[in-house]
Amino acid sequence: MKHLNEEELIEHYYKADASSAKHLARCAECAQAYAALQSDLAALQFPAPPARDVAYGEQVWASISSSLLRYEPHKKSWLHGGLWRGLSYASSGALLLACAFYAGRIWEHKQPQTTVAANSAPVQQMAVPPAPPSPPQPQPATPQPRQLVVVVLGDHLDRSEQLLVELKHADASNAELISPLRDEARSLLSANRLCRRKARNSDDPALAAALDRLDSLLTELANQKEELDAAAITRLQDEMNADGLLFEVRVLRSRIPDPPPGSRHFKGGTI
Amino acid sequence: MVRMGKNDHAAVQAALAGDKDAYGALVKLHGASLFRVAFRITGNESDADDVVQDAFLRGYQKLDSFESRSSFGTWICRIAVRCALDRIGGRKKTEGSRVAEADDPQQAEVQVADATAGPERRLLSGEIAALQEQALRSLSPMEQAAFVLRHLEDCSTEEIAAALGIAPGAARQAVFRAVQKMRGRLAILRVTP
Repeated sequence: MKHLNEEELIEHYYKADASSAKHLARCAECAQAYAALQSDLAALQFPAPPARDVAYGEQVWASISSSLLRYEPHKKSWLHGGLWRGLSYASSGALLLACAFYAGRIWEHKQPQTTVAANSAPVQQMAVPPAPPSPPQPQPATPQPRQLVVVVLGDHLDRSEQLLVELKHADASNAELISPLRDEARSLLSANRLCRRKARNSDDPALAAALDRLDSLLTELANQKEELDAAAITRLQDEMNADGLLFEVRVLRSRIPDPPPGSRHFKGGTI
Repeated sequence: MVRMGKNDHAAVQAALAGDKDAYGALVKLHGASLFRVAFRITGNESDADDVVQDAFLRGYQKLDSFESRSSFGTWICRIAVRCALDRIGGRKKTEGSRVAEADDPQQAEVQVADATAGPERRLLSGEIAALQEQALRSLSPMEQAAFVLRHLEDCSTEEIAAALGIAPGAARQAVFRAVQKMRGRLAILRVTP
């Protein structure tokens, strides 16, 4: 049996505890110690404090009231309440807006297959309907607003594949069928450069290499004279290894999923 | 200990709103009970009066920090206990040598010799009360306040802890040490069969 120590006995004296009482009822040794404690504490007799009535409080108040300054009522100042609260709300709102904007930018950059280009001359050429090369136009005095063009690589590869197929089966005797190939090559050239730059930035060497070869072919085709003859066609087909490039483009195209059905298509890209 | 009054919170709010007399009502209401606690701890009437005035002055100055979830009586009593502890603490510093005597074994012999002057003399209630008072004043200020609040004011451990600004466990320990020391010092009065 574990006996109650002095601290527990004192605690029990001031605040009766059921478990201690139970133990004391069974343990003579602890009961004896507790009786001694009770006797000692009961014998303590301290002089009673001098009596003080309600008049005493009045005396105390009379002695201290003159030295107390009256509290000023709390005034809710608009400067401390409304203005600071408003400023805190405004700053919180601005911070949230900035965070949302930044998150949106990051999300936009992480979207697959999408290339963002801004304010670049080749992109502008790609976005507008194809036109033959012309001497450089004088720049306007005021800066043009940045033009944002989103080019989907899949569309570009589709069109390149179509061009290569047509080049493979081109009939050199029919000049009317040859001329559109050159125009299409000129149209694809700027988009190809944009895609090539994006592929290099995104560390995709296979795609970048294929687009490099495609760029050479498109450049050669776009710079042909007005009369595209059979010899030139044959030379392009042989020297540029159009068949191999066609196969490469098809493989690359198969790696890229089709764009969502809701996308808005235009010639040269998708927005 | 000074107990909670129903209208205390309203009086505090009125005082904070500029009605100084509302605080006067609180002083009149709690003055007597505060004096009792102050006297128990200081053991001196004039000191207790000073403690009561000091406590109500400090209370008024800190009134805007009074939290409505506690009672004004407990709050002002805590301040009064602090004032009383400061007062007896300062007094014991000046009487340091005399306080040290109580723990000195050689001096204890002197006290015992004085107390054993004869059974008749020991039974004199006046002397017993003086010895008890001496034993109480020989405690540390914290133990003294804890013992007074527990033994004479019938406060709970939590109330003592709140009044002394310590943890309940520390308050319980302070009471235990005080009782232990008191019993040890008053053992000479014990009548053995």
